[in-house]
Amino acid sequence: MIKIRNLRKQFGELEVLKGVSVDIAEREVVVVIGPSGSGKSTFLRCINYLEEPTSGEIEVDGIALANDASINQVRMEVGMVFQRFNLFPHMTVLENIMLAPMKVRRMNRTEAEQRARELLAKVGLAEKAAAYPEQLSGGQQQRVAIARALAMRPKVMLFDEPTSALDPEMIKEVLEVMMSLAKEGMTMVVVTHEMGFAREVGDRVLFMDEGRIVEQGTPEDIFSRAKEERTKLFLSKILLLSPTE
Amino acid sequence: MNFDFDVIARSLPLLLAGALVTVQITALSVGFGLLIGMFAGIARLSSIKPVRVLAAVYVDFIRGTPLLVQIFLIYFAIPLVIGQRVDPFVAAITACSINSGAYVAEIFRSGIQSIDKGQMEAGRSLGMSWVQTMRYIIMPQAFKRIIPPLGNEFIAMLKDSSLVSVIGFEELTRRGQLVIARTYASFEIWLAVAFIYLLMTFTISRAVDYLERRYRIK
Repeated sequence: MIKIRNLRKQFGELEVLKGVSVDIAEREVVVVIGPSGSGKSTFLRCINYLEEPTSGEIEVDGIALANDASINQVRMEVGMVFQRFNLFPHMTVLENIMLAPMKVRRMNRTEAEQRARELLAKVGLAEKAAAYPEQLSGGQQQRVAIARALAMRPKVMLFDEPTSALDPEMIKEVLEVMMSLAKEGMTMVVVTHEMGFAREVGDRVLFMDEGRIVEQGTPEDIFSRAKEERTKLFLSKILLLSPTE
Repeated sequence: MNFDFDVIARSLPLLLAGALVTVQITALSVGFGLLIGMFAGIARLSSIKPVRVLAAVYVDFIRGTPLLVQIFLIYFAIPLVIGQRVDPFVAAITACSINSGAYVAEIFRSGIQSIDKGQMEAGRSLGMSWVQTMRYIIMPQAFKRIIPPLGNEFIAMLKDSSLVSVIGFEELTRRGQLVIARTYASFEIWLAVAFIYLLMTFTISRAVDYLERRYRIK
């Protein structure tokens, strides 16, 4: 589904990604972990070209990202959920979800609204259709953001630390929505610090550090028998602090 | 000194007719200025360098030179180019629109820049084009934020439009001069003119306050 070869990204002098290659299969849930500054968010943002790679090849669903047309084509197939939700504050929840299907997929209003209401029900927020984003809690906003991305019927969903900006008591409701998506067979790439989620839902865990994939494997491989010193060091720090352990 | 109320009363219809012309020229200039300013403001943020530079040159030139000089330039330069006299009305509107556009461009630029970058990213990640994201997501939010500075620009333009009296265009200030030339009641007429301007600017600032309050709710 996603094929990445020798991906590099430089911000001025700073090389954030130093040659990342990875294949992600259909229906696979890949969780990317690593210390902050390891390049994991940049890696994710390169997949739909929110960051333009300095070099390397990216192919999504058989489409190679090159010119503007292919970028827009890929973005239609790749949904993204941000750390800070990024809902449109001047629109209601329903309008937030309906906008892109109507403008990009040329769906008519009735159809778009029906689809939006279905998705809201799916994320458990059917009664919030007419609310504005600022009237919702962080967890509710993030669930709306997931519904908004799903409205485009993407083949892949990217999650960029979707629970990092949430109060602890709201993390679970968002993770549950993501879990049910994974069960339905959605292809997902998730950057997160939620090790419980990684272990429970991930098919594969990538550990990134200093712009490279240091180690990858099943959650069991990474969490219980990591081979690399850097992986062990990172896990020892994060698991000690994590209440999910 | 004798203050002559009567001369004000007698001249009022003439002055008010001038005030109407002032409102017209201001509304038209700010209207065109909004259009020019919106595109120039967006151009200032363009990723294409020549577009960005051109917009910056325009804004810097207009903001760095007096409106009075710009009015003369347009009034006397256009005939050289097109080979015939321009109507003072056309010259006045052209000069004021071009002038207003530069200030509005800066208002738009800062308004657009004040919108969180995540909004553009969210729009683009959903497959919308840059233009679509600008139109449906960035601009509607920026518009609400720039209502107060746009109101100030409207008020400033209304006052500065008095400068077009120098090319003989008969708006409020020019009417005042003409009435004084006939009646010699300088103080009375200038006072009346001042009050008419005040009445107009005050009305605009109240209207802007209302709009600001209305749009803040959402």
